[in-house]
Amino acid sequence: MRALHRKLGRELLGSAGVLLTVIAIIAVGTGCFIGLGSAVRILTLSQQSYYDDYRFADFWISVKKAPLTVVERLRQMDGVAVIEPRIVFDVILDVPDEPQPLTGRLLSTPAERYDQVLNGLCLVRGAAFSDDRDEEVILSEAFAVAHGLNPGDRIGLILNRKRESFIIAGTAISPEYVYMVRGEGDLVPDPKHFGILYVKEHYARDVLDFRDACNQIVGRMTPGADIDVETLLKRMERELDPYGVLATTPRERQASHRFLSDEIAGGRVSSTMIPAIFLSIAALALNVLMSRFAERQRTIIGTLKALGYSDRAVLGHFVGFGVVVGVVGGIAGGGIGIAMAAGMVEMYKGFFQFPTFVYELYPDLLLIGLLISIVFAVAGTAKGVWVVLRLQPAEAMRQKPPERGGASFLERLPWLWRRLGFRTHIALRALVRNRVRTLTGVLSTSLAAGMLLISFVMVDSIWYLVEFQFDRITHSDMDVGMRDESSIDAVWEAQSLPGVDYVEPLLGLPCDLRNGRHTRRLAITGLSPEHRLMTPMRTDFVPIDIPPEGIVMARKLAEILAVDAGDALELVPVRGRREPVRVHVASIVDSFLGLDCYADIGYLSRIVGESAAVNSLQVQVDPVERAALFRAIKNLPNAQGLSVRSDVKANIEGTFVSSMTATFGVIILFAGVIAFGSILNNALVEIGDRIRDISTFRVLGYRPWQVAAIFLRQTLVTYVLGIILAAPISYGLIRLMVQAYDTELFRMPAIITLRSVIVSALLSLLFVLLAQAVVYWQIRKLNWLEGIQVKE
Amino acid sequence: MVAETGAVLDMPLLRVERASRVYRMGDVEVAALSGADLAIRRGEFLVILGPSGSGKTTLLNVIGGMDRPTSGRVWYGDMELSAMGAVAQTAYRRDSVGFIFQFYNLVPTLTAYENVQVATELVSSPLDPSEALRLVGLADRAGHFPSQLSGGEQQRVAIARALAKRPELLLADEPTGALDLQTARGVLGLLQELNRSQGLTSVLITHNPAIAGIAKRTVRMVSGRIAEIRENKHVIAAKDVTW
Repeated sequence: MRALHRKLGRELLGSAGVLLTVIAIIAVGTGCFIGLGSAVRILTLSQQSYYDDYRFADFWISVKKAPLTVVERLRQMDGVAVIEPRIVFDVILDVPDEPQPLTGRLLSTPAERYDQVLNGLCLVRGAAFSDDRDEEVILSEAFAVAHGLNPGDRIGLILNRKRESFIIAGTAISPEYVYMVRGEGDLVPDPKHFGILYVKEHYARDVLDFRDACNQIVGRMTPGADIDVETLLKRMERELDPYGVLATTPRERQASHRFLSDEIAGGRVSSTMIPAIFLSIAALALNVLMSRFAERQRTIIGTLKALGYSDRAVLGHFVGFGVVVGVVGGIAGGGIGIAMAAGMVEMYKGFFQFPTFVYELYPDLLLIGLLISIVFAVAGTAKGVWVVLRLQPAEAMRQKPPERGGASFLERLPWLWRRLGFRTHIALRALVRNRVRTLTGVLSTSLAAGMLLISFVMVDSIWYLVEFQFDRITHSDMDVGMRDESSIDAVWEAQSLPGVDYVEPLLGLPCDLRNGRHTRRLAITGLSPEHRLMTPMRTDFVPIDIPPEGIVMARKLAEILAVDAGDALELVPVRGRREPVRVHVASIVDSFLGLDCYADIGYLSRIVGESAAVNSLQVQVDPVERAALFRAIKNLPNAQGLSVRSDVKANIEGTFVSSMTATFGVIILFAGVIAFGSILNNALVEIGDRIRDISTFRVLGYRPWQVAAIFLRQTLVTYVLGIILAAPISYGLIRLMVQAYDTELFRMPAIITLRSVIVSALLSLLFVLLAQAVVYWQIRKLNWLEGIQVKE
Repeated sequence: MVAETGAVLDMPLLRVERASRVYRMGDVEVAALSGADLAIRRGEFLVILGPSGSGKTTLLNVIGGMDRPTSGRVWYGDMELSAMGAVAQTAYRRDSVGFIFQFYNLVPTLTAYENVQVATELVSSPLDPSEALRLVGLADRAGHFPSQLSGGEQQRVAIARALAKRPELLLADEPTGALDLQTARGVLGLLQELNRSQGLTSVLITHNPAIAGIAKRTVRMVSGRIAEIRENKHVIAAKDVTW
């Protein structure tokens, strides 16, 4: 069939322009499949091997102070493979040349076996601990990089009410902090203000007064154990009960793991959904293109069949177009995919820390991408050709009978129809008669607009979230965490620090909340009766009062505990007088981070049976005296953490701005490809259909733009229908997105602004008009003298 | 000479028995062929004459395996065309029939040589495309695309394409309908010559009475029926055709 192959080759070259529009859409779809698929696979494999090689724990239990003997008892429990005690302390760090006190997390680790314990350390720079001195730390790599700290440098911290100076032996990363956040409530890593300091175990015991004791237990379960982690943790909690269990965290709720796994899960959905959308549109566009192509080759198809070519041979010939389009699209998609995956790996490096994290080429993904691309292209082609192919050869060779269905519905409204003018009539009739073509254009426009809108909604939602959490709810300039609970007098002491305008106390009280089988251990935040620096609220921005009795909780927590405002549930403090108390839920508030729960500070103290206590302070600061206050906090013996609201906001905004800028560019480009490609494909097919009409208009004296105006009308009607359809599509996708991000760590508000809607619509219009510019150019260069001769 | 060849093999190559073909155009039924009876002898040159709409193309399609009658039967030797499935029909067209169309139906993106190749690649022992082109006098135009050939040349390429498969039956649908007189004479002469020299059974349909005389037998069709079958006493040479 060499002759037919040659026909195929020449015709492919002849219609390269219009095929390119489809190839671009296929390439983007395949590119997303390969790019997102590779990124997901790199993340998954990196996660797996990191977790395996460095023994990522299955659970964490934080206690006030437990003797090592009890840890031995835990080790004997069924289902426990490894159990390790350790000491964890948050401290204030004093980094040279950094005026601001920073938060550090001290973690004890065996000096010799630092890389063999659970959550083992992977050394990045420098060396492990030496035998020379005890005051050595291994610093988390990201923090060291953020502050330009190197092995051999010194770092100061306040430990057990004493200032200590440590030498940095080396820097490391750990599977526990792939995504380096403090815990719940943190949205993005902030290596500038939070670092991990690994210290020798025996040193931590001595200095922190934990001889033969620990305050955190990490463990791994026996593979295939017939007990689930929650049950095991319940048993361990009972065993550890006398020592004050502050929190139990299975791997599934561990913050770093959660963020990483959510990213992988999200990537998995995107790597199927986005390619499916693009490839389906490409198949539709090819169907439009090829059905016209086959229609124009009606007599040739008839002749080939008359010569004795079988249906299969003729179909095979035309399917060749699909194969070539699929192969070219697939190969181009491979290139896009590789670039995309490499870009995503670079972006992920800013968020996730792995020992080795490099882009790899996955030949199987490339191959599958290519195959999918071919399958979609062939399906679109075969569907397009099939109608003509089915005809008897004699029928194929006859003129196509005039299309049925005379008047469109608009024509039945004569008062309107008469006003529209003949060019609009032509455009509208063409839209009504070529339903698949119109549908493809409408769908593509709506998907492009939808993609853009969702991106804007995501950005607006993040901005809203930051504003809601850090401007509306929180009003303090900084929060100072304290190691030991202090009496309410701490407020007065803080008030006397330089630069402090106003102070309010907070008490974080760990307790169990129980409603039947729904239980959750968390810290309830106690607020003072006259509090004004923390104003829990609903999204209508009306602050909710904290009642003298009862609790107020975030909607997500209420969902988890299956309670509503007015319901009562059981509260059991994990320290003090640990007797169950019935408390009622006074109100539900909104919150997009963590699981907030509030109560009056005095009410909480009465529940534990202690006098009012404080373990963190909210401070309003005179900006002029910030530096003085920072110096004072560095010297506060009881301080163990500091968070500055403006830093937190700037960090979240900075992180999202940098990652969204790149992503935005790509999304706009892809939306452009789908809208531009599909509208142009439609228009070029239409021009092919109407060469004689166009030529006739030109002969009559119409200028090219006047002819193009007919196509413009058609395109604009398609566009308007697309924008209308974009509304429900976007709404559905935004709801899906909100559901996908509805986690305990983080929820997504869906903020749809008029501006986003308008900008999305205008950008889509721009793509559509660009396609129209090509149409105009095509009409201009059309040889209408030849066109007039074309047979109908 | 034609008659002698026909007399030797007197069993008809093709038999059409009460064949009708009804088309449905929307809600209207159109009878393009109504009870046609015809026998075509092996090696015969037959002209079917009739005005447009008389059913001659439909008859040609039915005997060429391009269409099936709605009722009646069509036989090719001992094969019943009217009862064939699509696969057998395709094989029949491939192995036994050569078609020539009024508008040539060449593939515009293939050269003359390649257009012939489209046919030769289908069958097991075809003529060489160059040979076929030489037979129609176009050996030096093999590399030209249809748009670079005149109408007569294009029709000769189409004849070469039909011939190259070495068919037993050549069907020509208004082969000179789009040609001027001079060119038409050339094409008709070629068909006459092929029938004479190779004994190729040929059926030509036309609306032009002037052409009717080039065959030994003429079938006249009116409104889907065969109105008359006439033996021509004097066969006109193609070069003497005029209109």
